[in-house]
Amino acid sequence: MAAIASDHGHGHGHDEALHHQFEDMEQQNDSYIVGMWTFLVTEVMFFGALFLIYTLYRSMYQLDFYLAHKVLDTRMGMINTFVLLFSSFTVAMSVRFAQLQNRMGVLAMLGITQICAGTFMVIKYFEYQEKFGHHLYPGPGFGSSPSYLNGASPNFAQLYFGLYFGMTGLHGLHVLIGMIVIGYLMAKWWRNSPMVTKDYIPTELVGLYWHFVDLVWIFLFPLMYLMPKP
Amino acid sequence: MSAIPADPNVTAVSATPRTETNYLNADWSIKSWLLTGDHKRIGILYLVTVSFFFFLGSIAAGLIRYELTAPAGFILESETYNKVFSAHGIIMVFLFLIVAIPAILGNFLLPLMIGARDMAFPRLNLLSWYLFMIGGACIMGGMINGGVDSGWTFYVPYSSMYANSNVTMVLTGIFIAGFSSITTGINFIVTTHKMRAPGMTWFRLPLMVWALYATGVVIILGTPVVAVTLLCIIFERVFHLPIFSAELGGDPVLFQHLFWFYSHPAVYIMILPAFGVQSELIANFARKRVFGYHLIAFSSLAIAGLGFLVWGHHMFISSESMYQGVVFSLISFLVAIPSAIKVFNWTATLYKGNIRLQTPMIYALGFIGLFTIGGLTGLFLGCLGTDVHLTNTYFIVAHFHYVMVGGAVTAFLGGLHYWWPKMTGRLYPESIAKWNAVLVFIGFNLTFFPQFIVGFMGMPRRYHYYYFAPEFQPYHIMSTLGSTVLALSFIIPGLYLTRSLTKGAKASANPWGAHGLEWETSSPPPTSNFLQIPVVLDEVYDFDPVTEHEQDKAAQALEVPSYLSNEAKSIESEKEKR
Amino acid sequence: MASTPLSSDSKHGGHSHIINPWVLFFNMLWLMFLLVITFIASEFDFGNVIINNVVAMLIATVKAVFVIWIFMGVMHASKLAKIWVVTGFGVLFLMFGILGDYATRQYEPVSGWETNVPNNGGSAFPREWPPQKKPEQVGENFRPRG
Ligand code: HEM
Ligand SMILES: [Cu+2]
Repeated sequence: MAAIASDHGHGHGHDEALHHQFEDMEQQNDSYIVGMWTFLVTEVMFFGALFLIYTLYRSMYQLDFYLAHKVLDTRMGMINTFVLLFSSFTVAMSVRFAQLQNRMGVLAMLGITQICAGTFMVIKYFEYQEKFGHHLYPGPGFGSSPSYLNGASPNFAQLYFGLYFGMTGLHGLHVLIGMIVIGYLMAKWWRNSPMVTKDYIPTELVGLYWHFVDLVWIFLFPLMYLMPKP
Repeated sequence: MSAIPADPNVTAVSATPRTETNYLNADWSIKSWLLTGDHKRIGILYLVTVSFFFFLGSIAAGLIRYELTAPAGFILESETYNKVFSAHGIIMVFLFLIVAIPAILGNFLLPLMIGARDMAFPRLNLLSWYLFMIGGACIMGGMINGGVDSGWTFYVPYSSMYANSNVTMVLTGIFIAGFSSITTGINFIVTTHKMRAPGMTWFRLPLMVWALYATGVVIILGTPVVAVTLLCIIFERVFHLPIFSAELGGDPVLFQHLFWFYSHPAVYIMILPAFGVQSELIANFARKRVFGYHLIAFSSLAIAGLGFLVWGHHMFISSESMYQGVVFSLISFLVAIPSAIKVFNWTATLYKGNIRLQTPMIYALGFIGLFTIGGLTGLFLGCLGTDVHLTNTYFIVAHFHYVMVGGAVTAFLGGLHYWWPKMTGRLYPESIAKWNAVLVFIGFNLTFFPQFIVGFMGMPRRYHYYYFAPEFQPYHIMSTLGSTVLALSFIIPGLYLTRSLTKGAKASANPWGAHGLEWETSSPPPTSNFLQIPVVLDEVYDFDPVTEHEQDKAAQALEVPSYLSNEAKSIESEKEKR
Repeated sequence: MASTPLSSDSKHGGHSHIINPWVLFFNMLWLMFLLVITFIASEFDFGNVIINNVVAMLIATVKAVFVIWIFMGVMHASKLAKIWVVTGFGVLFLMFGILGDYATRQYEPVSGWETNVPNNGGSAFPREWPPQKKPEQVGENFRPRG
């Protein structure tokens, strides 16, 4: 194989945000974006498997799932969806501000996003608390207040609530991780770290992640809260 | 080699003076190893730890084999036996095979082969090793704590209702190790896309890179599915969330679907990189351009794609629908096509090649035979009718050991020998290694061929009592004998390779006269791989068997081993040509 | 094959596309509008539970497409990113092939399966030919987990 030494040397030192393994910022940014998308593909498969399980069980036990789902508070779910959609918008705006290197803009937008995420978690907390109070958490005590089952078979209702807690729980975990990451990013912006101010990509990556969290909820909400009557 | 500039000193990076500092001796502190971002060092870290897990898995295998020499067992209790074969499967699959070639050879070679300074995400790469270690620790913790007896497949309800709580620990370990796999996969994909040296176009890539890329694709598409499936079992055990519990209307067969949706592709995670190694070895030791480069490259991708369409062939005798069974059976036959394409192309590469029977080549030739047997018996199993007879017998055990040990492990050993001079800068002792390669072949066949027969006769897998059929015993004894030979042939390379680290002769930059960017830099390479990023002007496999043959003759006249003088002469012949 | 990989793969990237904030804003409004539509559609009966479900999922898919295309910037992303998005959802779709198993089980010509099973609380759909309405599932097969 023929190989000669290339003329252009390292891109070292040109840019504070450039890592040593890359030639230039373009290559680095591209790599990060592609890497993030491959990661999101794994996330799609991760949640996809859960959606598959849910689809199968719901098609098997339509009526029971329908009856069991009535306990959920659609209003709360709606509010949460609005909150997440809005936070997606603010995150997208923060990326825009990062591109324009508008530090205060980024911080403001990310701050609003954090507030939205917090609201989401608080609402989720109250929802969970209510379910726990009604003995709707799967396990030994499940269904000891049968009136909340709306006549659904306790077995199949347990399946439903197992999936409900499993899926929304994992989603909530993603929200929580998102909050931590956004907090970290905000700290970086606050301290004017060149890692974020010289390069909008970290902000963009966090944004992509956050949109993905929103995406999962877009499917979770109608599937869990808005079942048509079989 | 058309576009080489006239002055040989500028020609090849190998002609630049050997650097004294390389990635191994740049910094000796432990911290510099544990916090390294260098893909080569991470490869070495993986090598050490994965070898350790291989050792543990082999001990379990030995226990199984010795137990089976007597029809009613004589070492292990039934429960212990279940735990031992589970431990063997779990360690070998999740802690050895899935990691071995991608994370050791792949990590080490991918940036070198494409002319990059490092992986795209070095810190992620390091994280992957730590995740692997944490996962490995959890798995080992669960096993030390009492072990699991569900087999490596974790079918519910064996793993959910009828298991002890160690299963949670082990599953957590596999979950974490899965993320280690995912991070490696992401790195492979991004690195292949974005880090290639100038001039390294897709169709100039070494076939190993194609194979690693396909592996990366399979990893990132498959692993999350098994991760979440195993997580569901953890949820069920820890948080009482019923997901596969049949007693509540859940479906255990769904677990099998999801498990095999990953685990069939996972067998390709194990074998695809082995295909890559194989292509490199065959081309280099036949001194010939690999036959059908494009076909081999695309068959890797085809395997990656088709691999996702055959999971159901593991479930023919579960309550899977017959109609889907038929479809899966058909597609399983289709998968054999790209595998066969590769085998045919390798054999065609041998044809009229200038074959050098050095250690890696012996492994490579063994691979062709063993993988062919393994793949063909896969077709027996993919056939609906025969599978009903053969499933859950030793026939399956033999099938997958032919592909996983005869295929992946053989290729791993071959690749390790081939790139050993590059990784360590030392030559291993050729003659003993050569005999050992033959020993692996013999030991392997002695171990696993009898299992085909005894399996066909009806010996069930995962049983340790067969007093109902004493006629099985001779086969088991043969197999145990073979496994002893095989164990020996794994210990010997461990010894001589370790010894060569200090006692071995120093290796030149290109001891094999091989082509490929990794051979253009010194052995061992400097920390940044290349002193200057190479520009690629030609494809990798531009061997010319005729001139190679003449070179060999000339080398014999000079009484110098051809692989040592090769480098100097290739530059000379270059000059002559011009 | 003459082109260098760096230029062939990365038409975009380094110079990012700065998106108009109004596009983002109207995208958000549009998504919220679709959310309201989702809610209304869930109250509305299109005549058949399957159609109702399909409608709900279609709206969700439309929402997802807008999030991916505009918020996640796939509109301006490199071809590679687009390929990954398609591959990801493609393989996800493939995985849903698992449902094909459950959908075809009932057509298996296995004699004996069709004998009257009062409740199919187990793993499979009833294996009957021709497929008949499933028995009522409510309130039976009750065995609390201990
Ligand atoms: C040539 C294509 C192949 C075909 C058609 C094929 C077919 C099959 C079939 C049908 C089974 C299921 C048998 C049963 O459970 O009844 C099976 C099992 C297995 N195969 Fe293959 N196979 C092929 C290649 C491979 C390769 C390349 C590997 C690994 C590197 C592999 C590893 C395994 C393993 C590990 C099992 C057993 C899983 C278990 O039940 O524990 N196969 N194969
Ligand atoms: Cu398979």
